[in-house]
Amino acid sequence: MSDPILRIDSVTKAFGGLHAVDDVSFEIYPGEIIGLIGPNGAGKTTMFNIVSGYYAPTHGRIFFKGENISGKPPYKLAERGIGRTFQVVKPFPGLTVLENVIIASFCRYPQREKATAHAWKILELSGLADRANVSASSLTLAGRKRLEIGKALALEPELLLLDEVVAGLNPTEADQTIELILKLRDQGITILIVEHIMRVIMSISDRVVVLNFGRKIAAGKPEQVAKDPQVVQAYLGGEA
Amino acid sequence: MRHRNILWFASVLSILLILPLITDDAFFLRIITEAFMWIGLAMAWDVLAGYTGYLNFGHGVFFGIGAYTTAILMMRSEWSFPFALPAAGVVAGIVALFAGLPTLRLKGAYFAIATWALSRAVQQVALVLEITGGPDGMRLPPFLNPKFFYMLMLGIVTATFLLFWFLMERASFGLKVRAIREDESGAMALGLNPTKIKIQAFILSAVPTGILGGMYAYWITFIDPASVLGDLVTDQAVVMAVFGGLGTLFGPIIGAILIFLFKTYFWAYLADYQVLYLIILGLLIALSVVFMPNGLWGTLTGYIGARQALRKGLAVNPQAENETEKGDKTHE
Repeated sequence: MSDPILRIDSVTKAFGGLHAVDDVSFEIYPGEIIGLIGPNGAGKTTMFNIVSGYYAPTHGRIFFKGENISGKPPYKLAERGIGRTFQVVKPFPGLTVLENVIIASFCRYPQREKATAHAWKILELSGLADRANVSASSLTLAGRKRLEIGKALALEPELLLLDEVVAGLNPTEADQTIELILKLRDQGITILIVEHIMRVIMSISDRVVVLNFGRKIAAGKPEQVAKDPQVVQAYLGGEA
Repeated sequence: MRHRNILWFASVLSILLILPLITDDAFFLRIITEAFMWIGLAMAWDVLAGYTGYLNFGHGVFFGIGAYTTAILMMRSEWSFPFALPAAGVVAGIVALFAGLPTLRLKGAYFAIATWALSRAVQQVALVLEITGGPDGMRLPPFLNPKFFYMLMLGIVTATFLLFWFLMERASFGLKVRAIREDESGAMALGLNPTKIKIQAFILSAVPTGILGGMYAYWITFIDPASVLGDLVTDQAVVMAVFGGLGTLFGPIIGAILIFLFKTYFWAYLADYQVLYLIILGLLIALSVVFMPNGLWGTLTGYIGARQALRKGLAVNPQAENETEKGDKTHE
């Protein structure tokens, strides 16, 4: 296999005495979809915040395309090619859907005309073109989650971090989003996805990494991981 | 649509340019000149408050610094006015750069308090320094030509308006500051550096304010810490922008015109009831914040925009929208 696009090298993030992420290492290779799963509070979102630059790791390092990016601010990482969505979606509510995506497009197309043209392409891709001129706050939850993906895509990322983009959607909407994710993978974008819905994670991930209490307890093909006794125990013990 | 806007702009500007040619009424010209100044101050305050979402309650400090810069350069260093005026903008911009670095990390009320405290501190400094004349203030050489000040003020405010129009409504900068206002941490994920953009907005707000301050000093010929560094400059600009409509180009202009004219005519014709002025103004602001949180201009354009959207089928009636909102919350 080629060099990893993202290498997480024994990363720890401590908040006071709490180790939200504890000595976690894994690698992601170009073109993969990696599922990051674990019970509530396992440290998935913390891991996302570290990779996207919102938190600096307490220990350990993160390499993106071979370069150490630990502690670099989010806007620098966005420029380098890491796009992310937020579990609690963050649209700019007072702006229109189109304006939301234009802002993200400035990262690659600093001129307003070019950014606007690029934003329209993204809206077509994410199925929001018909709602381009409505205010982002008037979108439904499914629309806001799509907008969230659209904004991350407008950055033309090489690595896309998706934080619960399917949760809360009805089955039809969920299928549309999954279709979109697979389309992005086919375009060559590497994807790290956090999701609670096992049906989704198991069907689209090439590999799965399981966290529990901040530690990595398993990693591998979805079907192997699902049989791993530690994973079964973490889920049954942690959430039942 | 755009052609109509340009036509509007050109007609208003030409009327304002012709005005001093057809009247010699010094009182009238003076009122209009001061109205221009308040339009400029309210617009400049709105760049940071309305567009970027940072309420600067020490905005007057840039006005005072501009006034003192021009006065000191003219009186102590014998610069001529054409050089001392731009210097006021430069100094105000530099102060904004250094004041912004620590204060723009703060959010909401804390930023407001920090900027207010900064303005109090600068006022105290002006009171004790020798170069500023302390509490006695400074007197500048009188240049009694109302038409000169009218034209210059009009020029400065028009240039400010055009600059803000271009940056805020046409260029990418306006969208970037709005992104910061709406969600700073979300904006970071999209490649925007909030610190850099906020500092730029702060400087953009400070420079015209400093120039207006320098202009004021030479026009009024007397400045002291109470008049140019007091709370009043900030307070008026804030009230005008809020009343007119935050985050819009025209809101502060309309707010400034209405409130300034109200004040001037109240003081000119109802001087015996001066005490009523602040009471009425206060009531007016309270009512406008409660009933028109988007200000006069925002309410007007919002109403027209909503009617157009309904007609074009781009929006549904608000009650249906409320229900989907509730539905979403239960999902989350």
